[in-house]
Amino acid sequence: MSAGADSIGLQLVAKMGELTWDRHGPMAIANAERNLAFKNMGKSLAALRKEKLGEGDTAIVIAAGPSLKRQDPAKTLLERGYKGAVVTTESALLYCLRQGLVPDLTVTLDPHATRIVRWFGDPHLSEAALKADDYFSRQDMDRAFADEMAANREILALLDKYGPQIRIALSTSASDAVVNRVLESGMQVFWWNPMFDDPDDAASVTSKLQAMNRFPCVNAGGNVGSAAWMIAGEALSKAKVALTGVDFSYYAETPYRNTQYYKEAVDLVGEANLDQVYIRLHNPHLDAWFYTDPAYMWYRESFLEMARDADFQTFNCTGGGILFGEPINFCPLDDFLRNYA
Amino acid sequence: MTSVLKGNFQAAKSVEAKDKPEADDLDSRFEREAMKKLGGSIAYVAKKKIKWAEDENP
Repeated sequence: MSAGADSIGLQLVAKMGELTWDRHGPMAIANAERNLAFKNMGKSLAALRKEKLGEGDTAIVIAAGPSLKRQDPAKTLLERGYKGAVVTTESALLYCLRQGLVPDLTVTLDPHATRIVRWFGDPHLSEAALKADDYFSRQDMDRAFADEMAANREILALLDKYGPQIRIALSTSASDAVVNRVLESGMQVFWWNPMFDDPDDAASVTSKLQAMNRFPCVNAGGNVGSAAWMIAGEALSKAKVALTGVDFSYYAETPYRNTQYYKEAVDLVGEANLDQVYIRLHNPHLDAWFYTDPAYMWYRESFLEMARDADFQTFNCTGGGILFGEPINFCPLDDFLRNYA
Repeated sequence: MTSVLKGNFQAAKSVEAKDKPEADDLDSRFEREAMKKLGGSIAYVAKKKIKWAEDENP
């Protein structure tokens, strides 16, 4: 790893739990309270344990990291006739549907009021809104989002067509915009709560949330990709879960400006000090360098902890990024499919 | 400072000195606001997986 222990980036990683609560905690709780009114518009995530999603004991998670467009895992899965379960993050839904791959399950989590609905198509998107927020156009992600209005029309149409075929693990923390769009498109809803704190403490926020709506509480590991992995292993009971598009980082040549937290990092330390915020890691499996920001570094560290506690095996078939280390099997997707699917 | 500055009159109201100058409070508040924007999507809770509701335990 290339960052001093006293770097601003690593100091922020250590604070990430409380910063995440400050950023989204109250919003997520308020969303969950509001979403109680929609409880009967879907089932509990627990119902998925009785459904057979995909053949065999494997699942593939598709997330929308920068490797997605380089590795094109959906193409490989279709060519190989993969029959196991495909679980996507909502951010990878457009990519999958464009490739003709309808996932067995998609997952959404983040409570942001206006951004997350974009992955489902925002019926109220305007040019003015795009000018006010360049979050999507600035980042190194799905090229389909380069023309944002066109991409929005496309995902609206695709979800109107495929929505009823798609199961969604819908976090109670989701915004009203996301919930409205999910219900409007006819997706099959399976509700769950994200954990906020110790669910075994009767006085915890998580316990109170579960007492309110009776939905299962999932340790989401900070982000939707980790949540998808947890649900694949623990709710769908798949013995082997392979990850694609789970980079938790950027390719070394990516300009800072094209990263998710660029503007926020500039606001905190100034453009000249950005090297202090970003953290560089060498991936020994690929002999390549990647860099990441504090939130994604926190996701990585949290994921490794969760993987060590998991009762199922994890294979990282992303082909890039910084998620490596015990107990993760880092291998090409082709190898995983050949050996296990 | 408060120990060496003495007035030659009795103030109508007693004034308590603040522990920290207001500017520092503002700085730290702005810093906190800036830092929280770098936070993640949701919490991570160590050593936990899924907690099913009591009536839906496997």
